[in-house]
Parts: sequence; structure tokens; C-alpha cells
Amino acid sequence: MSSFFVVLASVVAGTVVSGLLACLPGLHVYNVMGALVLGILSLESSGVAIPPDVFLPAMTGMVVGWSMINTIPSVLLGTPDESALFTVLPGQKYLMSGRGYEGTMITALGSLAGAYFLVLVVAPCAPVYLPVCQQVLKGHMHWVLWIIITFMIMSEWPKGGNRGRAGWAKFYDAWKTLLAGLATFILAGLLGFILLTRSPVSHEVAFQNIMPAFVGLFAVPWCLLNIISAADVPKQRITKSLDMNGDIILRSVWSGGLGGGIAAYFPIVTGGVGGMLAGHACAQREERIFIMGQGVSKFIYYVGAFMFLFVPGLNLTRGGGAWMVKTLHTPMGMGDYYMVLGCIAISAALSYLMMSPLARGTLWLIDRINYRHASTLALGIILVMVFAVTGWIGMFIAAVATGVGLLPVLFGSRRLNCLGILLLPIACNMSGFGEVITAWMGLT
Amino acid sequence: MKGFSHFMSGVAVASFGPWAIEAALRGNPTYFILGGACGILPDTLDFKFYRFFYKHDVYVEPDPKHPDPQAVADQIARAVEMGIREHRYIKLKLSSIRLGADFWQQYLVNFDNEAGEVTVKFGSVVNTGQVPVEGTADRYPEVGRAKIGARVIQTYDAALKVDIFDGPTIGLAPRDDGDFDLEFLPWHREWSHALTMGLFLGILWALACLCFKAWDAAWQGFVTIAGCYAVHVVEDQLGHMGSNLFYPFTRKRTEGLHWMHSGDGMANFLAVWISCLLIFWNLYRLQPAMTYHFTFVHLMMVGLVIPGAIFWGLRKLLTWGDGKSQTPDAPADDADDDWNEMKASS
Repeated sequence: MSSFFVVLASVVAGTVVSGLLACLPGLHVYNVMGALVLGILSLESSGVAIPPDVFLPAMTGMVVGWSMINTIPSVLLGTPDESALFTVLPGQKYLMSGRGYEGTMITALGSLAGAYFLVLVVAPCAPVYLPVCQQVLKGHMHWVLWIIITFMIMSEWPKGGNRGRAGWAKFYDAWKTLLAGLATFILAGLLGFILLTRSPVSHEVAFQNIMPAFVGLFAVPWCLLNIISAADVPKQRITKSLDMNGDIILRSVWSGGLGGGIAAYFPIVTGGVGGMLAGHACAQREERIFIMGQGVSKFIYYVGAFMFLFVPGLNLTRGGGAWMVKTLHTPMGMGDYYMVLGCIAISAALSYLMMSPLARGTLWLIDRINYRHASTLALGIILVMVFAVTGWIGMFIAAVATGVGLLPVLFGSRRLNCLGILLLPIACNMSGFGEVITAWMGLT
Repeated sequence: MKGFSHFMSGVAVASFGPWAIEAALRGNPTYFILGGACGILPDTLDFKFYRFFYKHDVYVEPDPKHPDPQAVADQIARAVEMGIREHRYIKLKLSSIRLGADFWQQYLVNFDNEAGEVTVKFGSVVNTGQVPVEGTADRYPEVGRAKIGARVIQTYDAALKVDIFDGPTIGLAPRDDGDFDLEFLPWHREWSHALTMGLFLGILWALACLCFKAWDAAWQGFVTIAGCYAVHVVEDQLGHMGSNLFYPFTRKRTEGLHWMHSGDGMANFLAVWISCLLIFWNLYRLQPAMTYHFTFVHLMMVGLVIPGAIFWGLRKLLTWGDGKSQTPDAPADDADDDWNEMKASS
């Protein structure tokens, strides 16, 4: 078989597998890719080498397929990974007004627009301009993290203090949510120091060491909230048109491209932060632009970060997918770059085609079983995944993280504060005083 | 402008201080944090602090168990009457009605100057995402009406719709002809949005540094704080509402230049993007041992002019003959934009 068909078959297989797995709540594509990497390494050690023409397109397809199709559990089941955090509320708004399919497809359309932007706009410019950016910005990553932290904290507004006479009582009532947000950020940050300094997770699955914490911080609280408070999901309508136009698509691309681009380029800035920045980058009152922008941002964050590994002359590794590929293969020149770009285009098109039937299937499922039961099932799957990958110690970490992740739910503060788990320890480390804190915590 | 635009503008202004970049290269992010924080600080002071201490003359607080539109209308009419009787500025608070953890009763207030009355209509129950709960739109079909003895003139289209989180404050400013001007959020952009306030905060910082004999940090921090605070005030001045520029020497807002609304998507994006480019340029200028070299004009062409032209052309192409389907940002007052942004960000 010519290498063209090998690449095509691999990228299609990777996309289809990850697309189906993306519908399972709580399962991250990096878990599956991690297992794949271990499998390939063990095959290599037993003398069976898997060529890059097979695993590179497959892994590209997995990242692309998952980044687009994981919209389905985020919007329809309310079980987001961290990067899809901002799609849940508007997504559930659509779901509760019988337009869950529309909300899902608008986000997917954003991802498709993100693919166009990445392949047709970013990719040709990247080898020329990104190395320049890298040279200018390389000494400044730490303060970028600090200003993101500052903005995250300062841009959360009080929600209480709605009634009563002016004064301290009203002020305190309003500030309860903000204090809960700060407490969440600090507690998540302390948990992050522990996990990044002395992780209790077995070294054999060290690359998954943050996974149980992320599940506990983001996915489990959503599931619990849905189980406790979910209203009956109304009958869902399948629309034939998404009522989009070029103007909406362009605006979504500019906001999502900026947010997702920052998240993809800067270390530790995750898709959730990218989503927040995408929402803030432009003043958009049009809800469809916001939702679509989130789709763009999520796609650029995952796939853009993966693509950077292959940009000739850049030498930049961002995101779990790229790090895993790097253990197997060192990208070489334009050949690998063009192959990966082609794979991104094919996989994005295929994933978009898979979106509609998979979204309809999930809605069919929700229609037949109670939404609470669907959330319970989703929670069960998530916990099984955590246990299967990290064992009891992972379950313990997930339980602790759930405690922190429930704080925003209980006090109505912003859930993004949970990202303190990465932002705080890494920003402290990059600014050179992380060790002071770990010593104070008795970790070093 | 939106909070993120102000924040990034503040960081951009901070990056013009060579000391900020030199400190950052040594691992010290203080000046950039100060820049961003001071860029957004005027709105923070208003929305996170001042509004909770702002005293009102009339508090309209509908009973969540027995929502009565007539009682709300009567209270609002009472505020107008108070203004007529005492011929002074009246501050009226329209409190929201929380029905549960995630549900709010929406109501709308309308001053009908033709009929000489204020009307209040209870709308749907909405969730915190402002989505109406099905079947709740007509729970309260009656409209509360109360006569008012003067016209209340709304000079812009601020939505007098009360639903989630905090309800708005309305200022009734007496006019010479006996009528009232309606001011939305009178506590916003008062003393906090003053150039003098930035200077004052800078002096506080400098004094704190001088206590520790940190001379350089004192003047460098002063310049950063005053500059970054000022850029917020200047940006807001490009809009409609304006700011009280030299409080306490001035007592009223100076009207803005009307160049844009604070919620304009394009203006906000440009502010963010140009800030990013300026930060990049300043970092490049002070980056040691660069192997790539470019000019400011080159950067602006590659980063702004060419992509902007392509974007403009593409937008024209994609919306050709499709005027109705374009999605302009809803025109609204700056205070209304800031208020809605605060609620949406929450």
C-alpha cells in the first residue's frame, strides 16, 4: 500500500476511534494516547517497530476528532473537560430550551472554522513568524501567567448583595462569592503544589498524574449538580439550519482564535483560560458568536498546540499530545509538517461529518432515559476511568479535588478558579519562588 | 470598554517602562501585574466596592412570595414625587427578585411620558443565564400603573429590565423645566474614573515604597500606576458616558467623545490586539541578543494592517448582499454595557 493510503487509513482510524471515545464523559484523549504510546514502546522493545507514517496521522486524528466531538458530552451531558468549561452553561441553556442539537452543532461549526483558520491562515505563517515570537517572548512566559492569574481573579464580579440598605452587611453578602473564588484558587493551587512536587500517583502512569484532580475539579461537580438539580429535559428539536452567516463565523474566529492561540502558545495556559479570553476578547452580545468562539478556541488550543511541534524551526512542545508524540518521534522538516496539516484537514472534515449522527444518538439516549440517570451513568463512567488508570490513589485525589471543585458550585463563584491547580504552582516555579512554598509545605 | 480591553491596555502601558521589562527578565512580574490591575481598577472600585455603600433615597424591594407590580409602580412614583417636592437628585434602587438558587423573577419598568405614568410588568421567571423558564411568561398578566407628576426623560436606551443578580440604580436629576433626566447607574464613573485618582494611588504606592527606602520602586511604581489607571479613564472618554476626570476638582462627568460604545466588538478587539502588538514591540526592543530584526512599521503591517485588510475584505465577501443577516452589536449606553458585562462575566 502506498504511503498516501497508509496515512489516510491511519488518520481516518484515529479520528473515528477518538470520535466515538469522545462521547464517553470523563475520558480524555490523552489517556488513550498515553496507553497507545506505552503500547508502541513495548512493541518496539519486542522488535516490532511501528512507522511514523502510521502513528503520527493516527494521533493527529485522535487529537482533532476528540477536540471537536467532545462537545457532545460537554453540552448534552454537562460533563466538560476543563477546556470546554465555558460551553456548558450556554450549552445547557440550549438543551433546556429544546435546542441541544443546535448548540452542539454551532460549537462544532466553530471547531471546523478553527480548522480552516489553523490550516489556511496560521500554518503558512507559522514557520516564518512563530520562531520570531518565540525568541522575543521566551524570557517572559512567567509574567504572562501572572497577569492571566490577576485577570482571572479581578474579573470575577460579586453576585450577592442584591437587597437591603447600603453598608457593610451588603458588602459582605456580595463578597462571599469572591472570597469563595479566592479560596478555591488557593486550595487548588496548594493541591497542585502537592501533585506536581510529590505526586502519590504511581510512576508508571506519571503522565496521568493530574488527570484525577482535573476530573474531580471539573467533571464530577457538574455531574453531582445535574443529579441533584436537573430538571426534565424538554423534547429536543433537530434543526435543518444553524442560521449562521459569514459575519458570525468571522467574529467567532477572531475571538476564539485569540483565546485559543494564547492558550496553545503559552505554557500551562489551558483551554479553559483560552475560553475565558475568547469570551472577553471582544464585546459580543450575540450568544451564537460566544458559543461558536468557544468551539474555535477549544480546537485551536488542542490542535494548534499539537501542530506547533511540527512547525519547522520553531522547536516548541506544547500540550500533552505533543509531549507524547515527542517520546516516539522527532519531527523532521516540511515533510512531517505538511503531512500533519493534511491530516488535520481530513480529520476535521470527518469529525464534523460525525458530529450530527453522534449528537442525534446522544439526544436519542437522553430522550429515553431520565437526565438524572444519564448524569449518574456519566459519573459512574468517569469514576471507572479514574480507577482504571490511576487506582485507589487516583480516586482519593479525585475525591479531594471534588471537595475543592464543589466550592464554586456551592457559593456560586467562578469554576475557572480551579485552574489554580496548575497556574499557581507553575507561575511560582517560573518566577523562582516555587521552592520556598514547597519547602514551607514540607514537600521538599 | 470591556474589562479585558482595559486590562490589556494597562499591561501595554506598563510595558513602555524599561524597568518593567528589566524586572520581568529577572523573574519579577510586579510592574506588569500592577499595569493590568490598574488598567481594570476603576471598574473594580465601582462594581466591587462602591456600589454596596451607595445610599439610595428609595429602595424598591418586591416581595418574592407575593410579587405585586402595582406596589413597585407606586414606589417608583413616590420617588418621582419626592424629587418634585424636594427639587433634588433622587437615587432609586430597583432590587432584583430571587426565587431560588438559580431562578429570578424578571420585571420591566417603563416611563410613559405621553400618559404621564410609570408602568411595571412582571415577565418570565428566568434562570441565572437569563433564559426564561417555559410557561412562566404570563403568570402575572396585570400591569402596575402609577401617575407621575413630571416627565422622566431617558436620553439613551438603557434597559430598565430587572432580572438576575443586583438590580440597577436609577438617578432622577431635576431639570430647570421641572422634568427629570434619568441617569442609569449614577454611582458608576463618579470619583473612581478620575485621572487624579490614579495619581493619588500612585502616591500611596510611592509612600509605601519610601518607607522601605526603595527609591526606584517608588517612582517607577508611581509612573506605572498613574499611567495605567489613566489609560482606563482615557479609553472610557472615547465613549458616550465620559468620566469625572479631575475629581474632587470636578463634580460631574465630562461627556465622552461619542466615538464608540463601550460594548463595540470591533473597538474592543482592536484595543486588545493593538495592546498585544505594543507589548510585543516593547519586549523586542529590550530583548538582548536578538537574531531577528524588524521595524515598528513592519510589525504593524504584518500584525495589523495586512490581516485587518484581509479580514475586512473577507467580511465584505461573506456578507455580500446579506445586509440583514449582519449582526451589529446592540446600541446601548456605556453604563448599560458595563452593567451587562458585569452580569455576564459573573
